[in-house]
Amino acid sequence: MAGAETSSVTIKVEFSGGLELLFSNQRSHTLTLPAAVPTDNATTVPVPSTIEATKPADITYLIHYLRDHLLQERAELFEENGTVRPGILVLINDTDWELEGEGDYVVKEGDEVVFISTLHGG
Amino acid sequence: MSTSCGNPETEQDALMTRRTKFDKTKTCVKCKESRGNIVIRHAVYCKSCFFPLISTRFRKTLGPTINNKRGNKGANARGGRIKGLMQAPGSLVIGHSGGLGSTVLLDLVAKSYFYRSSTLSGQLPEDSLSLGSEHPRNRARGEGDSGDVWKGTPAVCYVEVASVIPGAKERTEEVRAAVKAYSDPTTGFEIDFIPLRLEDAFDEGWWKTIGGTDLKQGARDLGIDINDEALPTLRQGSNIPTTPLQSLHTYLSSLPTPTAIHSAISSLIRVLLLFTAASRDASHLLLGTSLTSLSMNMISGIAQGAGFAMVSEGLEEAWIGKNDQNISIVRPLRDIGIKESAFWAWWSNLPVPGRDRYPSSVSSVPLGSETAASRVAVKQNQKLTSIDVLTQDFIMGLEKDFPSTVSTIARTLAKVTTKEKGVSGGCVVCQKPAQPDVQAWKASISIRSYHDEAFVKSKHPLPPHFTSPPDAGVSAASSPTNGLAPRLCYSCHTTFTSRSSRGIASANEVVVPLPVWVKASLPRSSEDTTVPESKDLQTGSNEDVAQAELWETKKLSRGSIKDKIGAFLLDDAGDE
Repeated sequence: MAGAETSSVTIKVEFSGGLELLFSNQRSHTLTLPAAVPTDNATTVPVPSTIEATKPADITYLIHYLRDHLLQERAELFEENGTVRPGILVLINDTDWELEGEGDYVVKEGDEVVFISTLHGG
Repeated sequence: MSTSCGNPETEQDALMTRRTKFDKTKTCVKCKESRGNIVIRHAVYCKSCFFPLISTRFRKTLGPTINNKRGNKGANARGGRIKGLMQAPGSLVIGHSGGLGSTVLLDLVAKSYFYRSSTLSGQLPEDSLSLGSEHPRNRARGEGDSGDVWKGTPAVCYVEVASVIPGAKERTEEVRAAVKAYSDPTTGFEIDFIPLRLEDAFDEGWWKTIGGTDLKQGARDLGIDINDEALPTLRQGSNIPTTPLQSLHTYLSSLPTPTAIHSAISSLIRVLLLFTAASRDASHLLLGTSLTSLSMNMISGIAQGAGFAMVSEGLEEAWIGKNDQNISIVRPLRDIGIKESAFWAWWSNLPVPGRDRYPSSVSSVPLGSETAASRVAVKQNQKLTSIDVLTQDFIMGLEKDFPSTVSTIARTLAKVTTKEKGVSGGCVVCQKPAQPDVQAWKASISIRSYHDEAFVKSKHPLPPHFTSPPDAGVSAASSPTNGLAPRLCYSCHTTFTSRSSRGIASANEVVVPLPVWVKASLPRSSEDTTVPESKDLQTGSNEDVAQAELWETKKLSRGSIKDKIGAFLLDDAGDE
């Protein structure tokens, strides 16, 4: 457990396009995630020391973490089948997450992750 | 078993592997130097190449439509201006929904054709310097007008719909601020902001301000009975709505399905924008419909019976107002997906006011914005669904995994055409082109009453929401033509009359108020005192009815039906 606490990454998360309404109407959040997380993306904090199967914290874990710890209401508008709902775009350090491996991207210290909802239409 | 296809049961690796979202490398396909920042339908672009890519696509769509009287010669291949030739015959109006597409559209128009204020932190496209001093963008900076392309001052029109969405936030001031950000005090350039409300569609005061014809006293309290397929015009009784807002709520709450409500709101907004554009002598009404939204509109529109208007309009939609005023309705973002729009807005730091989903049900009386009842209604709205909502969910899912298919939908439908042209004047409600003789066609190809001989003989079970055949009433096929039905397009007629066994209950026995432009277009005979107040009076022998065309129902042979619908069938190449 002690290892999980000392080994962590701090990232900046931002919401736009109306998604911020689901997250306390706050656009910008600074999060500290454990560097090693359970492979099943369970978001218990701190990570129990009994967990054996771990992986580096990635975007998929971040989505689960946001859903479980920051989301205030209506999870179905943010998360679907372990990833973001269709219509939500993700930028990792100003780059489309499709170029970074989407959910498999391993977050690094100082990363900026932006979630933009396009569901408000045109 | 063929080895080329593999055997999934024994070869797990033979299952279809997930395709990467981008082709080949992560390097920008345009400059071939920088690392990419965005994937657009499998092609990778860097941030520097993204801005000129989008602005060029935008100009290539809008540019050729500007100079329609000069054979499209005002724009070059990139949609840029050919010196001295790009000049629109009227002014410019931009329809703004508060959404992402509208925000990006306004930004692109301003950046491409008008001066853009430095009060916004967004940056000009990097190709701005390559356009030359004669490009409208560069010329407009010193002129403070429509960039010498459109006449007069450009305008943005926003229709506030919060009054029919319980608990929704009013966004008029946010949109006003977004528009004002493009003003430039140093040159005096500004864009007019025209705030409307959805209930203006029922407001005679608004109708007068845009130069609409005076409504006759007889037309003011006219409505329609949507329980009768002929949609007869009747006087509203003692419970006549006293305000435009009440009329709007009565109108929407009377509609039979969630889909109809969604469709009616879109239709009212469209016509409000059109008449506003006409009142400003506009030659162009721009809408922020992105490629993704266009695909959604097309799929849901066809599902709702609006295929004819959609196809006959194609991508070049025109509306002819009074005095033969021709307004081009252009969607300059039709080659730009919603993803690109979102990246443009994010990278340009544009504030998006946002918009709410249209409701699936509307209360018959206006609710306060923050009442407990309104919050309950919001929750109910979220549970109900409509064709538009289902289509949106489907297309958004498609966009995520198969983005090229979304593009293919719009491009394929743009190639479809109809054999016939629309009726002159079109539908009186939505103002779109209407199929000629649509009611006759509908009557000849479908069973429209549970009392039809063919239906009775078939012994087909009734739908689950009927325990016994409903009253025959006065059908469209047998009633005199003082109803609205012959003047509607298929889609609007379906909006009023199509019932769903699972849909919301319609408010029975209510005479549904009509938008002002429909009242203004009613023939004089309907406005006079001969209009009945109940169904019993409809068979009266007043002169209008006597002179009206009489309809009868008869069973047609298979050959006769083929003759009737032959015009709508495509030629069979195999017969040649």
